[in-house]
Amino acid sequence: MYAAASGMAAQQTNLEIIADNLANADVAGFKGAAASFTDVNAGGTLGLGTAVLGRHPVLDQGKLMKSGGPFDVAIDGTGFFRVDKHGAAAYTRAGEFTRSADGRLRNADGWALHGVRLPADALSATVGRDGRIFVDTTSAKHRAAGRIVLAAFPAPERLRPLGGTLFAQTFESGNPQRLEPSEGTSTIAFGMLEKSNVSIVESMMQILTAQRAYEANAKGVQAADEMLRIANNLHRS
Amino acid sequence: MASAMRAARAQLETATHNLANVSSDGFRRATSQVRLTAGGLVTSRTQSFEQGAIRHTGRALDFAILGPGSFQVGAGRTRNGTFVTDRDGWLTDDRGRRVIGTRGPIAIDAQTTVRSDGEVRSGGRSINWLPLPAGTRLQSGALETSNVNAIGETLGILTAQRAFETAQKVLVAIDDTRQKAVNDVVRLK
Repeated sequence: MYAAASGMAAQQTNLEIIADNLANADVAGFKGAAASFTDVNAGGTLGLGTAVLGRHPVLDQGKLMKSGGPFDVAIDGTGFFRVDKHGAAAYTRAGEFTRSADGRLRNADGWALHGVRLPADALSATVGRDGRIFVDTTSAKHRAAGRIVLAAFPAPERLRPLGGTLFAQTFESGNPQRLEPSEGTSTIAFGMLEKSNVSIVESMMQILTAQRAYEANAKGVQAADEMLRIANNLHRS
Repeated sequence: MASAMRAARAQLETATHNLANVSSDGFRRATSQVRLTAGGLVTSRTQSFEQGAIRHTGRALDFAILGPGSFQVGAGRTRNGTFVTDRDGWLTDDRGRRVIGTRGPIAIDAQTTVRSDGEVRSGGRSINWLPLPAGTRLQSGALETSNVNAIGETLGILTAQRAFETAQKVLVAIDDTRQKAVNDVVRLK
């Protein structure tokens, strides 16, 4: 009975992850998650069902799409943008930034792109494939204004999801390393956004499978319950 | 008849255990056999060696074993090839246990490739081997799904339940007969 119940719990976890993936399928820079399951055995013979082995973000590259934002950037390759807010650091693949009054590039939630500050008199900016930022001002054209440096992790799949597109560093992920965008490793695509790497069709299929597996496991609980009832009937008055 | 009820119960346990692992990649289902001995029905469990279906994932560190064999992770063995790297660059399973090759833990960097015969290469040099039996191939970017068939296991659950019910009915009938033998036969005297 508990083996079947563990199967129901596993499918529940599975469904939660798929639902979260689907909910964010349209969010630029979102990375889907996946869980893996393992069987649980006691003493080698008795099967105790299943348990979650672990869950990890799926960090496959999303497709790059042209966008309208004046400061949109996307990463083609590995690495993350580092963003700051109130002294805290987070890492993201979402590059939908807007310029705020203090010259920093912030996303919709107020997280600012680390190490980038546009001059106050900048009219427009362009970002090269190597991350270098150039601005046109009233007095000068194509003036250098810093560089976007990416963060790479030894174990990026061990980053902790903070909800949405943000990740936080953990002990298991290791410390972030400077990754200067260049040809051959990761490049910055200016005027582009990275689409989420969640496939809606695949997710819908996973939901159907998980739902059926949940039902089948519920049958197992029912059958075990029924057998206990029958066993109780052995003792009649 | 009590042993028949125990056997049905064991069958149910096997079926529910299999069904619970319908989403566990690399899982191999168990089958229970029932034998008649002098002491009644005895059940034993064996593991199926049927290959599970291969699911394409595209992740570089997902590995499916085509054929017999398994990966050594930490102290245990598994056929679930969902691997990631840890902070020191070693290949680990999703719980963080290191995958062990013939030359110890396997270091992964950007240049590392794993060939279908289990050879781990980096920068044109062979650095480690994933030991696999001869003839077994390794496919990266794919996972072996659980070989549990949900319909078959559901059927097993229903069969076990009915067998249990039948055994209970027979047990009650035997009980009735004995009751008669003890009470009515004695009264006749």
